[in-house]
Amino acid sequence: MSNVEGKARAITVLSPVRPGWPLWLHGLFFAGTHLTFSLKKLQQLSFIHYARWAIVERRWPGGDRPRGKRQRYRYLLFESNFNGSWDEYIDAFSEVVPTRIRLIWGSSYGFPGPLPVEPFKAYIRKNELPIDHYYSAYPAATTTEVISALEVARAFESFIARSRGLAGADFKRSYEDFLFEVQHHL
Amino acid sequence: MSDRAGQACALTVLAPIERGRQDLLRTLLQGLPTGAESPLARAPGTHFARWVVVPQLVYQGPPQKRDELDLAYLMFTSNFDGPLEPYLDALCGPMGEAADAIWGCCIGWPGLGDPASAKAYLLRNRLATSLFVAGYPQARLPEVLRALELRERVTRFAIGAQGQGAESLALAWRQEFGGP
Repeated sequence: MSNVEGKARAITVLSPVRPGWPLWLHGLFFAGTHLTFSLKKLQQLSFIHYARWAIVERRWPGGDRPRGKRQRYRYLLFESNFNGSWDEYIDAFSEVVPTRIRLIWGSSYGFPGPLPVEPFKAYIRKNELPIDHYYSAYPAATTTEVISALEVARAFESFIARSRGLAGADFKRSYEDFLFEVQHHL
Repeated sequence: MSDRAGQACALTVLAPIERGRQDLLRTLLQGLPTGAESPLARAPGTHFARWVVVPQLVYQGPPQKRDELDLAYLMFTSNFDGPLEPYLDALCGPMGEAADAIWGCCIGWPGLGDPASAKAYLLRNRLATSLFVAGYPQARLPEVLRALELRERVTRFAIGAQGQGAESLALAWRQEFGGP
């Protein structure tokens, strides 16, 4: 079992939602999806490739049965694909987006709050599911490296277009402009 | 439902495992080859994906009341290039034997001998995503892989070309990247 694939790490957390809170969560996630500013802080966590929240309704899926057993509670599922250590990840969540974390996991039983961070880490550990198989298509790359690579590719195309037909000193000048543009992404 | 961010899509499938097959499934999943040999590498457009066995629910203590599953569940999550339909085709096609062996441990899996029913099964046991965050939502997998490779080549070139004169720089560039 492994939650690591190269530089990529995976986390999967399932927590029981207090009665009465699912409506709040639906509203919160709706706002998160449709109001750009509310997502910005999460997107600023530059070590997240992809993350999601989902609400598991009281009737779990039933395979080929119409529905599964009716559970007492709804559950909040969180999964993330990130780079860096598990501790750094939870620290960043706790320090950079504590309000959003409180708004989301405050709906779950047992949530101690994002700060101080140690009880929050203990809560995540308790509710984290071990991963049985994990796959990343580019395990050697961090999120920042992917974003940088996409920037380099964009600038490269533009450089190729504007340097067409240039030679000697003109080409060198154009190349140096390109290098200046991408230097922080190499 | 918010299964999309830009072109990126999120899929979550939660299927009940047949009683008595949980250990077998775990052994199977943990024994799968990883990296480029993973069966998930055969589903085009998959950026990140995982299989997780959910054996039971975690009790948080009072005031929560105990809540237990009657069956263990297999969770599959994937972050992939949309749209969903062709991706489901890939899961039920190129992944072939592995998909059959894995979801074959779940209640009611129809088998890939009947791809339409297998797709319907995944859809029926799918969870809606409430909030999906993507670090680079517009980038499809081939674009990411090409960009990562290009970044490495440009970095290598930039280091190697330091201090070169105009003519030799243009020549070296042509040799590495073609043109101008």
